[in-house]
Amino acid sequence: MEKLIIEGTKQSPYVDFNAETGKLELSGRSIPENSFEFYNPLLEWLGEYAKSPQSETVLKVYLEYFNTSSSKYILEVLKKLKEVLKSNGAQVKVDWCYDEDDEEMMETGEDYEDVTGLEFDYHEIEE
Amino acid sequence: MAKRQRKENIYHKEKANLVRTKEFLESGEINQLDKSVDELKNLSDNYEELLDQTVLITRISDRLQKKLDKTNDKLQHLNDQLNDKNIELQNTIDDLVKAKAGRKATTIVFVFALVLFVFSEALIEPYIDSYANNIYLSLSIKAVIAMSIKPLEMLVEDSILKAARKSTMQARQEKENAEVST
Repeated sequence: MEKLIIEGTKQSPYVDFNAETGKLELSGRSIPENSFEFYNPLLEWLGEYAKSPQSETVLKVYLEYFNTSSSKYILEVLKKLKEVLKSNGAQVKVDWCYDEDDEEMMETGEDYEDVTGLEFDYHEIEE
Repeated sequence: MAKRQRKENIYHKEKANLVRTKEFLESGEINQLDKSVDELKNLSDNYEELLDQTVLITRISDRLQKKLDKTNDKLQHLNDQLNDKNIELQNTIDDLVKAKAGRKATTIVFVFALVLFVFSEALIEPYIDSYANNIYLSLSIKAVIAMSIKPLEMLVEDSILKAARKSTMQARQEKENAEVST
């Protein structure tokens, strides 16, 4: 399965999904003009990945800011990851990173954890 | 319109689910128990998905609004501070310009007074000595020169300050015009 790499811009986040290592990354700002167009390839990729995932999948999320429609798709990304959990013995972890003074972003991670039931690790990043 | 369609596009999956459920309700399959149970389960899953989204988006939006409100307060505070600093800076600049103008005026008036003194000593004094021979007239002329120094200095300082302010205004106007054109 091919890697999914999308370079980040001022409006869209950097994406690096690697099926061989099971390491996935989503970082930067997410305020795309069309969230569906941006996130749909990610969801399709995860749909494929969920069919034969690595034994451990780690999604690193380090978002500085995201808009409401992105928050909907981030939830969908996490729910797709939950499908990975259903595969035999596969483990899924989310590394939720946030800037040291951005308490709101940490709380947002807690909301996602609450709704999805996935395992979250929180990392405060010093600026 | 295109932008609105794009925004609605993000709910295409939910819309498709709703259309499918409505089609099921209008079809004859609703009378088949097993299919109705399946559809109800689908509907329940979709509802759960939407509820999750609603809960999450509401929490995130509330938090974001709070953050924006706090940021707005901070910006307002910083703006007030900036305005105060700006006034202080403007006062300091005015004082500096005034001091500079004062020094310049003093120099000009000093040179002028010196010229007047030399002029009175070289030309007026001999004239008074030859024709009037009056020490009081000579002293009066010198006193007039001495007393005119301060008002003259103030006049010169005033005109230098006016010129400096005009030049500052022109520079500011040119800067604003340049910013507008860019």
